[in-house]
Amino acid sequence: MTRQSSPPSTQKVSSRLGRFSSILVLLGLILLWYGISALNLFPAYAFPSPASVLVSFQEELTAGRLLNDIVASLWRVAIGFVLAVGLGVPIGLWLGQHLQARQALVPMLNFFRFLSPLAWIPFAILWFHIGDKPAIFLIFMATFFPMTLATMVAVASIPSIYFRVAKDYNYSGIELLTQVTFPAVLPQVITALRMSYGIAWVVIVAAEMVGCQDGLGYGIWEARNGLRLDSAVCYMIVIGSLGMGIDRLFAELTKLPAVRWGYER
Amino acid sequence: MYLAGMMKRAGIKIVIGVVAVITVLGILRYRPFTGSGAAVVHKGSNKHADRELTVGFLPVTCHLTCPVTDFASKTTATNTNFNSRVFTDFPTVVSALEAKQVQATFMIVPLAMKLREQGVPVKICYLGHRDGSEVVVGKNSKIRSLVDLKGKKVAVPSLFSNQNFVLHKLMVDYQMKPTDINFVVLPPPDMPTSLAAGAIDAYFVGEPFCAKAELDGIGRVLYYARDIWPSFISCALVVHEDLIKSQPDMVQDLVRGIAQSGAWAETHRAEAAKLVAPYYRQDEKVLKYVLTADPKRVSYVNLTPTDKDLARIEDMGLSMGLLTKRTPMDELIDRKFVPDVIREAPIDVAQIPSPKK
Repeated sequence: MTRQSSPPSTQKVSSRLGRFSSILVLLGLILLWYGISALNLFPAYAFPSPASVLVSFQEELTAGRLLNDIVASLWRVAIGFVLAVGLGVPIGLWLGQHLQARQALVPMLNFFRFLSPLAWIPFAILWFHIGDKPAIFLIFMATFFPMTLATMVAVASIPSIYFRVAKDYNYSGIELLTQVTFPAVLPQVITALRMSYGIAWVVIVAAEMVGCQDGLGYGIWEARNGLRLDSAVCYMIVIGSLGMGIDRLFAELTKLPAVRWGYER
Repeated sequence: MYLAGMMKRAGIKIVIGVVAVITVLGILRYRPFTGSGAAVVHKGSNKHADRELTVGFLPVTCHLTCPVTDFASKTTATNTNFNSRVFTDFPTVVSALEAKQVQATFMIVPLAMKLREQGVPVKICYLGHRDGSEVVVGKNSKIRSLVDLKGKKVAVPSLFSNQNFVLHKLMVDYQMKPTDINFVVLPPPDMPTSLAAGAIDAYFVGEPFCAKAELDGIGRVLYYARDIWPSFISCALVVHEDLIKSQPDMVQDLVRGIAQSGAWAETHRAEAAKLVAPYYRQDEKVLKYVLTADPKRVSYVNLTPTDKDLARIEDMGLSMGLLTKRTPMDELIDRKFVPDVIREAPIDVAQIPSPKK
């Protein structure tokens, strides 16, 4: 969660400094990698050098495999995640307002939340065969439950004064939901979005290692099978960078005027 | 009200954004405007085959005839076009077969027996190759025979692999107890590195994962499979009975193609390495080493499954308790598609694409 407690001017300077130092850390990391591989501390098959990774990066890119794999993974995450959010948030909103339903369903939701989505892999393949569908199912299973529970908790923790005021204004039903409940929980829902997206991105890589014929996770598995760790590292870099980039986009949501109040405390 | 209006606008923007992202990804994913995916190119004399079959394989030399048949069906005259589909692990292959997404695939023989035992109607129609597996130990280790592996860790690719079965048979021969060796199941690509790291003391797996350890200077061969079990069988071509019933002529084409590809690979080893390297996405050097360093290392002839060969494997599986029910050999094997005379596939070596560097 971003906290903006410092005055604007110093914040600008420190964020520029922060960005600069993050680049320094990154460069340092690459240098360290280069140094270790140049010293031949580990044999080449166990520790690919930056140069060999760069070559394999170019190889995968020119063969068109990398782009295809990126699109495949993004597609699966997008569909699975949108389905989970589209179902999870409304269900969470409803559960948050109905104590009895909450008592009945929360243990079940919690049970499924703690089942690793990877445990579903054999069933995903049996039920959805091979291709996009099993991966989308796994993403859904990984993100639906945390999304639902987070939304529910957010609704349940809305100060009761909000509802009392809403009653004074004669809000009820859909109006109460769109005018009071949803705006009140939106900041927490966005935080939950970021977190479950993080889970989705971690899961997609593992999910694609079986039952898929393309995708970033499949790329790593195939690199292993082909005894090409340099190509595996190239895929790891892509996975990390993409995950980080998309998280930045989600972070932008927290700057929307409608939700910024939720983070400024 | 002001806040609500602002939220509404932001909400609409977000919805539009999400829809746009999904649309773009969907278009990139399925490319609806570029026609029907990868068009099959037939350069053969008959210009086009009127039917297609997808055949599953893993990038191991035991499945080498699969991509060779794929290549041959696209460059020579055939009635069926074969598309080889690479898998990376056997559980996925099994699921694909059960779901009938592939109706013909290569797989380890005991796994096919297990499937049959569980009621999946599959038949073994041909074999992958003979030999082609080795017990590898650390290059500088003092292990000279199986007895030295007592109390050590040995990796096998699957409990249902013939490698696992054969090692147990050898242990019986050496009068060792089944608990004398700690068996661990590891994915084959991880075996050479695990050996180098000292996590395991030996492994028994199909090529090219043994050659890799030799070429990297990590390991040496303790036993060739043929030393333990002459004409060792690891994998077989497994076909779903539904396909055999519905399109027997296609299965006929398949088994003929696989058999002819084997006969061709037996005599064109370096060319075969070059041909399959892009299908396997492996280093041609390693494959070439496996195929050419010692011709006895792998062989692609004499691949008609016999009752005797497979009964021996089944006996071992039953005695180890991994198989629970004896499947009669005539239920397991279907030999009627194997051609009487196996000619070499008429592959034009000049058409094999050179690797781009």
